[in-house]
Amino acid sequence: MATTPRSGGSAGGGTAQRPNGTSQSKSCQFKLVLLGESAVGKSSLVLRFVKGQFHEYQESTIGAAFLTQTICIEDTVVKFEIWDTAGQERYHSLAPMYYRGAQAAIVVYDIQNQDSFQRAKTWVKELHKQASPNIVIALAGNKADLSNIRVVEYEEAKQYAEENGLLFMETSAKTGMNVNDIFMAIAKKLPKNDGANNQGAGAGRRLNENENNRQTTNCCK
Amino acid sequence: MAAATTPISSKFSDVDEYGFKRPENFDYKAYEQFMSNYLKTLAKRRKRWEEILEENVDLSNINSKLKRYIRKGIPGPFRPDVWMRISGAYKLQAKSPDLYRSLLNAPHEKEISDSISIDLPRTFPDNIFFETKKDSLYNILIAYAHHNRDVGYCQGLNYIAGLLLIVTEDEEKSFWLLKHMVENIVPQYHTKNMANLLRDMAVFKEMVIRRVPAVNKHIENLGLPYAVIASKWFICVFAEVLPAETVLRIWDCVFSEGYKIVFRVALTMFKTHKSAILAADDIGALANFFREVLIHDEIVTDCHTFMQKVFELRLKRSELESLRKVCVGRNNT
Ligand SMILES: Nc1nc2c(ncn2[C@@H]2O[C@H](COP(=O)(O)OP(=O)(O)OP(=O)(O)O)[C@@H](O)[C@H]2O)c(=O)[nH]1
Ligand SMILES: [Mg+2]
Repeated sequence: MATTPRSGGSAGGGTAQRPNGTSQSKSCQFKLVLLGESAVGKSSLVLRFVKGQFHEYQESTIGAAFLTQTICIEDTVVKFEIWDTAGQERYHSLAPMYYRGAQAAIVVYDIQNQDSFQRAKTWVKELHKQASPNIVIALAGNKADLSNIRVVEYEEAKQYAEENGLLFMETSAKTGMNVNDIFMAIAKKLPKNDGANNQGAGAGRRLNENENNRQTTNCCK
Repeated sequence: MAAATTPISSKFSDVDEYGFKRPENFDYKAYEQFMSNYLKTLAKRRKRWEEILEENVDLSNINSKLKRYIRKGIPGPFRPDVWMRISGAYKLQAKSPDLYRSLLNAPHEKEISDSISIDLPRTFPDNIFFETKKDSLYNILIAYAHHNRDVGYCQGLNYIAGLLLIVTEDEEKSFWLLKHMVENIVPQYHTKNMANLLRDMAVFKEMVIRRVPAVNKHIENLGLPYAVIASKWFICVFAEVLPAETVLRIWDCVFSEGYKIVFRVALTMFKTHKSAILAADDIGALANFFREVLIHDEIVTDCHTFMQKVFELRLKRSELESLRKVCVGRNNT
């Protein structure tokens, strides 16, 4: 199970952690947490990003889930350790455990649901107060495929994001719109000088691709 | 070894007898082998249980013989009735025979009803029998949320209630069994601060440290919190975690012996998968193993052998109780 081809070594399998021909490629690892009200599409965004799939009836997350995905930007291999949390309010007490030490967060709301946008703002406030001070936060207005029945206007969310220093995109886990892009944008904004991102549990850990996480982004072609 | 064909072909389709789709990588061969013996066991057990039920004894008084029988599994057709009797749910129901109906007829809070409604299509979407049961599931959950205001609606209850409904095919029985499960087996797991859930996860971790220290060390080194691995096990009492037949065998014992069984099962999961856990060499592989592999591999699908393993463990209620005292208030497992 856990022993299928690894890409860490020099054999250069399909996942190209160290692309041939690139003399020096850096690799970094970042902890990213997804927050937001229940049913806004956090797990669906992760599923789209990690496996390229979408489930019409994605089951609610109980507790939290952990997945990984690796992308490349320019000459840097970026591995995301993704913590997908449960949205229901009573799971809130578990959330700090996941955003503590996170270098990035995606706060998700559903563009058809005003309450979920308000909840997203509360998450942003909490992150600004409690999370590490240089955390990169992205706001995702999900279910953009349903924009004909939206209640949260694009401009309103964009303005809020600008005022609070957040990345912002409208996304659709269903169509895939902007899903890779939002992770890319976060990766670009994160500091990638070696070592800088290795605070916390990540220090010195080898990068080896989890064989079950199919590569969905065109990594280091 | 195993017969090539079997009289009950539906058991080997890609849907199990409770309507759940089998996972893509399901090992039909191993399952066939297991079932060739298990069917015989089931037939034998059924005769025994017919005898017990004919005697018409008070099943809420669980003596050692009854306990032994229950550990070997209650035959499917008798489950609803036996669960109601051994748990004491019938007695509770007899005391308030109108409660369920009156809860349904009372006005309901919109916020609660909305959050239940969102989860209806998200509950067992792949189960072929469940499509027609969504209204009943809604009724059970809305009634319970208004009956127990400390709990209200907690995500995860949909899976417990849903499985109860599949087994009993009866809304009201499901309501009473759900109440028993949430209030007597795992009290304060589902309340708004989930206090006992957090405590019991810490207890579980302590037990892993005592019983399989190498596994705990490995999990800690890789940095995967127990909350990610096991929250759902505890909150759902394994519903929507393990294969349905295995969950029902577990619930047979949960209804007769109580919360201790939940710890037994969780520990057995770790013990039986020790080498596979140790083989996962990074946090992603480890999380994937817990999320996708171990929950439906042969070990847990062979519910009969698995339950035997569950009872081979040595575990005393007193140990759990003293650990609970130590672990109160922890929330970082
Ligand atoms: N139309 C549409 N539906 C979506 C989209 N993303 C998610 N959904 C649906 O919305 C529902 C909830 O999605 P989830 O991914 O489970 O939401 P979540 O935020 O993880 O919810 P919790 O785990 O309960 O916190 C599912 O039925 C999804 O199929 C999207 O982009 N468009
Ligand atoms: Mg989710």
